Amino acid sequence: MKTKFKEENNDYVMYFEGRLDTAAAPQTEKDMSPLLDCEGHDVILDCSKLEYISSSGLRIFLSVLKTAKPLGSRVYIRGINDALRSVFAITGFNNLFEFK
Amino acid sequence: MSQQLDMQGQALLEQYRECLPQLKELEQVVSAMISQALGQQHLEVAAIEHRIKTEESFIGKLERKGDKYHDISDITDLLGFRIITFYSDDVDKVAAIVKQLLEVDWSNSVDKRKLHQLTSFGYNSLHYICRLKEGSFPFEVQMRTALQHAWSAIEHDLGYKGNVKLLPDFRRQFSRLAGMLELIDNEFNRLRSDITDYRRQVQSLVGLGRLDEVFLTVDSYKSYLSLHPFDRLNQRIAAVNQAELVPASVTNYLSVLEHFGLETLGDLQKFIDYNSDDAYQLALSQLAITDLDILSESVGLQNLCYVHVLKNGGGRMGLKYVLDSVNGPHPGNAILADSIYETARHLPFMAINT
Repeated sequence: MKTKFKEENNDYVMYFEGRLDTAAAPQTEKDMSPLLDCEGHDVILDCSKLEYISSSGLRIFLSVLKTAKPLGSRVYIRGINDALRSVFAITGFNNLFEFK
Repeated sequence: MSQQLDMQGQALLEQYRECLPQLKELEQVVSAMISQALGQQHLEVAAIEHRIKTEESFIGKLERKGDKYHDISDITDLLGFRIITFYSDDVDKVAAIVKQLLEVDWSNSVDKRKLHQLTSFGYNSLHYICRLKEGSFPFEVQMRTALQHAWSAIEHDLGYKGNVKLLPDFRRQFSRLAGMLELIDNEFNRLRSDITDYRRQVQSLVGLGRLDEVFLTVDSYKSYLSLHPFDRLNQRIAAVNQAELVPASVTNYLSVLEHFGLETLGDLQKFIDYNSDDAYQLALSQLAITDLDILSESVGLQNLCYVHVLKNGGGRMGLKYVLDSVNGPHPGNAILADSIYETARHLPFMAINT
């Protein structure tokens, strides 16, 4: 599982590549720490190269949302494939996030 | 220095320049005090404006009526605040807060709302000359509604001053508009009061379980949600994978429920009762083949909507409509709709349509 953080057009963008499963979750959460300080920036979770997400991954995404919302930042999920979209839909997480 | 000012005027101008830093500090202090006090009382206002009179404007004032003033503290509008409310009832509430917060100089304060004769016209604004309780430069606090503010701004734009004689026809037009604005302000007050009464009535009817008597609206839906009508279904679905339920708003489903033709909260309750078992079966079919153990609290209502669509012959397009309405249009929604349809196709409730 690889991640990359970038600032693009004042947005904080986190790129994911591979499988975000229980094993990868602790390191991924650490890698996402720059997003905790997102005041004044919207957050984009770019999942174009994310192949799989488990409940642990959903929990990490949710924690980003819980951090960003009180700071007035919006969180978008970008580029998810059909399988991931299905996971978000089955769990009702599609009602929590905005999609690009 | 201005060449137009006499000795007294020049002295006042010197005093003005010297006291500018103090005025700036006072502006910050009072602004914060007002904002904090309004916030504590949960009084939402349209705007709080403040300004220090510019040197140009100050000189203009001295040139016009400089002999009136002997000391800088005689000029009470060097620093001015304007609190613009949404409702005329709130002007009095703001005034009460200002009275409590600041020392009001009643001899120089004006309630223009009480000045009008029966036949007079003009905007109704409340002006207090105030100081900090511990002492400070005097400053002005104006309180008015957004409509009174609009009147004042237009009056200013037209270059009209209250003491200038107007042609009778213009006077009549001003009167008509002033009367209309006052009427609209009163109507907004009444509307707010009616809406508050309606909300209380809805809460009471919902509490009493008289759901058939309550129309499905934003207010009644929110009130109904306080009864947690989807909890039982959510918990049943969560039990499939021993999942954690995460709080989620379901207010965005209201438009879908209206589209289904639900008119009252009673209809909504019947919709839940009639579809819950099938919604559970549909969720079960989707979740049982995964190890997903975190769900949002929208999962129950989401599946209720899918089942309602399918039972009523809405098919894939109907499912896509729900997804588009709730999550926003997206090409991926068509694929999701297909996937939900395929999962549901073998469930007993679909036999009704085959």
